[in-house]
Amino acid sequence: MDVYASGPLLELNKAVPSFDESGLPPVPFSMKLMPGDCMVVEARDIGHATMFADLCCGLVPLDDGFVRFMGLDWADLGDRELNALRGRIGRVTHRASWPEFVPVHLAIVLQQLHHTTRPIDDLVHDAARLAESFGLPGLPTQNPSFLPEDDLLRASCVRAFLGRPHLLLLEDPLESGPAELSNSFLAAITEARDRGAGVIWLVRNNAVWQEYRQGITATWRLADDGLVAVRMG
Amino acid sequence: MSETDQQAPQPLPPPTDTTRDPVLAGQTGQGRLFAPVQWGLGKLAWIGRLTRRQARFLLIMLGASWGVIFESFRAHSWRRTVRYEFISTMNNIIRGGLVATMFAGVLTGLAAVSQVIYWLGLTGLATMTGSILINIVVREIAPILVGVLLLGRNGMLSTTELGLLSIGGEIRSMQAVGIDPFLLLVLPRTLAFTVAGFTLGILFSFASLVTGYVMSRMSGVINNPVWAFLDDVATAMSGTDYVIIPLKFITVGFVVGLGGCLTGLTATNEDSLRTLLPRGFSRGMLIVMVVSVLFSLDL
Repeated sequence: MDVYASGPLLELNKAVPSFDESGLPPVPFSMKLMPGDCMVVEARDIGHATMFADLCCGLVPLDDGFVRFMGLDWADLGDRELNALRGRIGRVTHRASWPEFVPVHLAIVLQQLHHTTRPIDDLVHDAARLAESFGLPGLPTQNPSFLPEDDLLRASCVRAFLGRPHLLLLEDPLESGPAELSNSFLAAITEARDRGAGVIWLVRNNAVWQEYRQGITATWRLADDGLVAVRMG
Repeated sequence: MSETDQQAPQPLPPPTDTTRDPVLAGQTGQGRLFAPVQWGLGKLAWIGRLTRRQARFLLIMLGASWGVIFESFRAHSWRRTVRYEFISTMNNIIRGGLVATMFAGVLTGLAAVSQVIYWLGLTGLATMTGSILINIVVREIAPILVGVLLLGRNGMLSTTELGLLSIGGEIRSMQAVGIDPFLLLVLPRTLAFTVAGFTLGILFSFASLVTGYVMSRMSGVINNPVWAFLDDVATAMSGTDYVIIPLKFITVGFVVGLGGCLTGLTATNEDSLRTLLPRGFSRGMLIVMVVSVLFSLDL
């Protein structure tokens, strides 16, 4: 992964999301995420957290302001460029994201297969290594409905961290996930940050990220009046 | 309180600014004056909405058809995920539908030839079986039956799969990581249906022709060897048939695939399988019939 070092990795500048399209409060959102930063965003509503992640990906139309990723305004890009840029984002989402007719191992490498020309053996090797680090015995080959919820959550983490993404939008997998996932998840975040990736960790409550308190760059709360900075005591 | 006090004129309320309140504005003389115009505009808007809603799918089909054709000629579109989807869908359709198509071809050949032998036998023209088979079975019946088989076996499957992905949110999740569902699902599936439509159509025609020959030979209507029969069939075909028949198979496959994918992809949260499947089936049938009729009209 080339390290992006020419300004904020992600920048929301007075971005007013369309309420009709997202359900997010139509107020200006402003924040900056630098390469290597890890930002916690506390959102009580899971739907709002997902929509905020969508806003960062340029999926939510704006009434005003702009959202820039790697210096590029989502609104200025054509479909091809949009998709290529989104290919550099790793996501763990609460929204359904496992197509039933695609086996899990294929769904894990799908994004990388689609956006890169890396040999499939390399991808599978990396995915298997990540799968083991997240506590799976290997790459699951069943269809998603045959996999336990915890394993599917681990597979989501594998998929998000695979391919060294520049930005990670992580809708908290720890809250509903197995306790032993915590260490590997935090280690993966640290490794990603060390190579210059930015992390936005969307949580529902404060307790989840306290273990990683020292590593957090900034904390925000997603409230009815937009993003509110929270002082870290 | 005295009676005089009770009858004292009440102070008039301050004039209301009716221009800002659409309800009150409708009560003014000016509002009444324009009521017929507003009524007319309302009706016009209703007709527009109705037309747009009815024409929406047709317009989406036209746009997506162009999109599929345009994207299929761009090397950049053929990523390995798209190639994988194309090959796996094509294998599913052709392998899965092979037996059913051949069987349908045999049955059609039997039914058509029985009728042809009976009716032409009465007029002493039974040797024209090959020509009749080409004109009726291969040109008219085969594209419709192959279209129906494609629709029932795989078109509805695509509608269901893509519909469930749209309703469940998986399509949105794909978009969030830069995977365009049109490129990954619609393009390869539509082209796989196109290739499969041609392949199965030719196999169907072959099965019905061979069955027709066997039936004619068994009933003693013709005594020529199969090569002579096939030569008769080839002679019965005009120059345009060599273009129109394959084109019909290709077009039927294309529109069945595209229609199935788009019906699924345009599903909303208000949809379920109960609404999606009947819609997909009726649209698919309509599309197959329209294509067949359009080709028959011109030539």
